[in-house]
Amino acid sequence: MSGPEFSQLQVGDTLPDLAIDITAKLIVGGAIASRDFQDVHHDKAAAQALGSPDIFMNILTSNGLVGRYISDWAGAEARLNKVTIKLGVPNFPGDCMTFSGSIAAIEPATGVVDVEIVGANSIGNHVTGTVQVTLPVF
Amino acid sequence: MADALPDLQQYVGGDFGPFLAWDEVNAAMIRHWCEAMGDACPLYTDTAAAAAAGFEQLAAPPTMLMAWTMPGYGGQRPPGSASGDHALGVLAIIEAAGYPGVVAVNCEQEYFQYLQVGDRVYFRSSCEAISDEKTTALGVGFFVTELATFYNQRDEVVGTQRFRVFKYRPQPRQAST
Repeated sequence: MSGPEFSQLQVGDTLPDLAIDITAKLIVGGAIASRDFQDVHHDKAAAQALGSPDIFMNILTSNGLVGRYISDWAGAEARLNKVTIKLGVPNFPGDCMTFSGSIAAIEPATGVVDVEIVGANSIGNHVTGTVQVTLPVF
Repeated sequence: MADALPDLQQYVGGDFGPFLAWDEVNAAMIRHWCEAMGDACPLYTDTAAAAAAGFEQLAAPPTMLMAWTMPGYGGQRPPGSASGDHALGVLAIIEAAGYPGVVAVNCEQEYFQYLQVGDRVYFRSSCEAISDEKTTALGVGFFVTELATFYNQRDEVVGTQRFRVFKYRPQPRQAST
């Protein structure tokens, strides 16, 4: 699981897209893996009572998926420093969320890279944000 | 009948905690997380890879920071935790005034060291901000921001989290008479 070669990176470079099917299994599995038992993440009737058409993904899962998107690209030698996300439209079962990312800043001396990410589904941007990661400097 | 809404600014600030984790950082919860997220980073599941990277034990995905200290299924915190609510306890007060919905809108996590298997995590929190009443597509309510600081068993700060939620009264589908 090797990452990008730091010396070759430039601001504006894009990361490979990553499409993730949003299933009820992922929403419930992510909620339980993050120990979030809020009913809107597993109980459709409870979600509907609050005006939502279906259960929806919890923020800890969205955050975890962002971390996975970055570590898929950055490799095992990278270290996450900071994950800042803002949630937009919900992730409902049956949708697909596609992550895209681009490099916003590079600190050559330290290997610190800021990556802007977007996770978009069929109704809009589910998650937008910035991940700061330190890559090995060779 | 909803309670009257108090002046919410009195709930800004404070120092709540400690709030402990039920379990020390462990390989099973890490694996469950990685399975759900599809995270194949070997630092989290392969002890040899973690050791080669300088960790003494398996590393935990840093985005699990908050997961370790969640109350979980029973809704109770482990013994040794501060009694009562953390900084987001104000949400119950807002809810009692007729705002049942809650949705997370921002999460900002910073990591100072990766947690490893065997670490024991706790956090302390304060309420950083409560907005005036706002109207969004979801309904009418308040944005509440909590700043949580996470520590390990050596009382070292391992990370921080700013968590902002919208506590709201859903838009009525149709006006009642």
